[in-house]
Amino acid sequence: MKPPRLSPQTLRVLERFIERPTAWRYGYELSRETGLKSGTLYPILMRLAKYSLLETKWVTTEDGVPPRHTYRLTPDGAAFVRSALPATRAGLKVRRVAFSGGRA
Amino acid sequence: MIPAAAPRTVAIALLRFAIWIAPHDTLDWGHAMLNELSHVEGNWSALIWSLGGAGVLAKHAVLAFLFPGPDRRTVSTASELFAKESPMRKTTLAVIASCVAASLLFFLVPVFRQAFQVSLAQWHDVLHVKSQISFAGPDTDPELDALAKKAEQNHDAEALAFVAVRHPNEAERVRLADEAVHLDPNLTWVYAVNGAVELTSNGTERLSTLQQWDPQNALPHLLAAQKIGVTVTHSKEFPLGKVEESPAWEAEMAAAFQSPKLDTYLDRQKQLDHRVLSRYHLDDPFQAASDENWYGFPSYGVSYCYLYAQSLLQSGQALESRGDRKAAFEKYSEVARFGELMRADDELTFFMNRPLKEAYSRLGALSRTEGNEAAAAFEGALADGVDKTAEREHALLQSRFSGSEVSHWNAFLVRLSGLSILLCAVLLLLCALGVVIRNRSLRLGSLLPSRLTLTLGFAAAVGALLASAVLFVSYRPYAKLLQRFLSKGDDAHLPELSAFLRDARLPLGSQFHLGPESWYVGAWQIVFYFWLVLTISCVIALAIAIFRHYQMRPRPAASA
Repeated sequence: MKPPRLSPQTLRVLERFIERPTAWRYGYELSRETGLKSGTLYPILMRLAKYSLLETKWVTTEDGVPPRHTYRLTPDGAAFVRSALPATRAGLKVRRVAFSGGRA
Repeated sequence: MIPAAAPRTVAIALLRFAIWIAPHDTLDWGHAMLNELSHVEGNWSALIWSLGGAGVLAKHAVLAFLFPGPDRRTVSTASELFAKESPMRKTTLAVIASCVAASLLFFLVPVFRQAFQVSLAQWHDVLHVKSQISFAGPDTDPELDALAKKAEQNHDAEALAFVAVRHPNEAERVRLADEAVHLDPNLTWVYAVNGAVELTSNGTERLSTLQQWDPQNALPHLLAAQKIGVTVTHSKEFPLGKVEESPAWEAEMAAAFQSPKLDTYLDRQKQLDHRVLSRYHLDDPFQAASDENWYGFPSYGVSYCYLYAQSLLQSGQALESRGDRKAAFEKYSEVARFGELMRADDELTFFMNRPLKEAYSRLGALSRTEGNEAAAAFEGALADGVDKTAEREHALLQSRFSGSEVSHWNAFLVRLSGLSILLCAVLLLLCALGVVIRNRSLRLGSLLPSRLTLTLGFAAAVGALLASAVLFVSYRPYAKLLQRFLSKGDDAHLPELSAFLRDARLPLGSQFHLGPESWYVGAWQIVFYFWLVLTISCVIALAIAIFRHYQMRPRPAASA
């Protein structure tokens, strides 16, 4: 399957995941760390999960509190991020330079 | 003041609803967003979180409805469906069925049927585009044709006259008027009202019949003057126009001005309408109270009267300057007398105020010159009276033609609710059709609607019920006015009903306003935009249908 398009917002999410690749992350936690609203964050998570770059799990935290959906990168996902992230970052940097009139 | 926890409560309800309409493959994500809500700090932040999540789920619901891809799993069996959401789905279906049944029950009430008929009148201009382009109305009216046939069989002269005034075909109007007058000569006045004299080339014979039948009336002379016609030239000296010399026209106008009475036959027509409507149990408000059925006065009559009155005043002034005060007095008196005749008619009074005031002023000046101070004071008071009543008459005339604000609003509500009922009905049909196509079956047991279809159907059913109630409530007062006219002949409120019906005929969005700042949004623009939007919608629907067809077409299995 063709990997998903890496928008700046997707990159922000992937950067958070790759910081601790084995840790399970909550949606609200990711939202706070990336500054993305739920309407932006969840489509990204759904897309990453659809391409099997992300695995999901329901976890029960404490009594009386509904189970939470948690996410972490799959091995394929981690490999993809490691290979794609530097190149995409470089591309973004070049674009930023171009649009800032030569000042990096 | 909003309770602190209210935004969070709304947020939870919103996400639950979004989950309910969301396609099956996004349910996990919906619950993920909902469960995360209890960890979001701050009630307003929770609402913002919920809005974002609901937006995502709604987008997926719409996409699933438009493009049901192979990876979108739909509920396939009844057991699976009812195991999960049976109560909710059954309740929704019951509400939809109840709302539809209640909406249909409204149609058992005659007033509601009448209201619905009135609400459909706005489609007349939309559906008769040809008449909008050529400015020519339809040539036939099945309802009137049927009534005419019945009247001919019964030799009912009054019913024939009733149709003769309303029929859209000119030749038919004249034929029916001839037949009505032949059966009952007392109905000769129909020639003046239905345009048999004005519209036809051989109307002279009918005009002379009318003049013989009612020789005291000024109206046949005005019709004759209109038939002859006159050239009017406008100049700086005469900004309102000056008539060119035309002895035949002047003779008819002089005869009109010297006639002892002016009867527009409007009262006779209203009485006849009342009798025929009651006799044939007709309750079509447009036939009973539409302004279009009342000509009342020849179309050029008012301007001709004004111009002739001005010419009389000018010739009186010329006679006065030559010292012939007696002849001048006669001229001014002629204008004053005919002006008073026109003032007796509520709808014509406004047009003769100016020459009438001038005639009284000059009569007063003449009396003063002759030393008759009592007559001068009386005529001066009459001239002042014209001014005083003019304002009141203007307001009355304005309300007569533009109707009250309440009527405008009610007409708007009637048109809007009628349109809503139609849209809701179409939406319900589409939902039903969608369910049948989706399940590829007509068996009730196997028809399982998707959540989005159920939501749309629910909205349409509730909308139809609400629109029916609004339509009924908005129209009911006018049904009572009509009933009062039909049962008792009480025509006191017919102008209000006419104004309401005039507004109700305009397509929603077009409107006119009579007053100091008159404006009009034409029906033609609305008709154009209606068909444009409809065409674009059809093209989009066709494109989606083709896309879905190719998307859902079974693909041949790849060969090994």
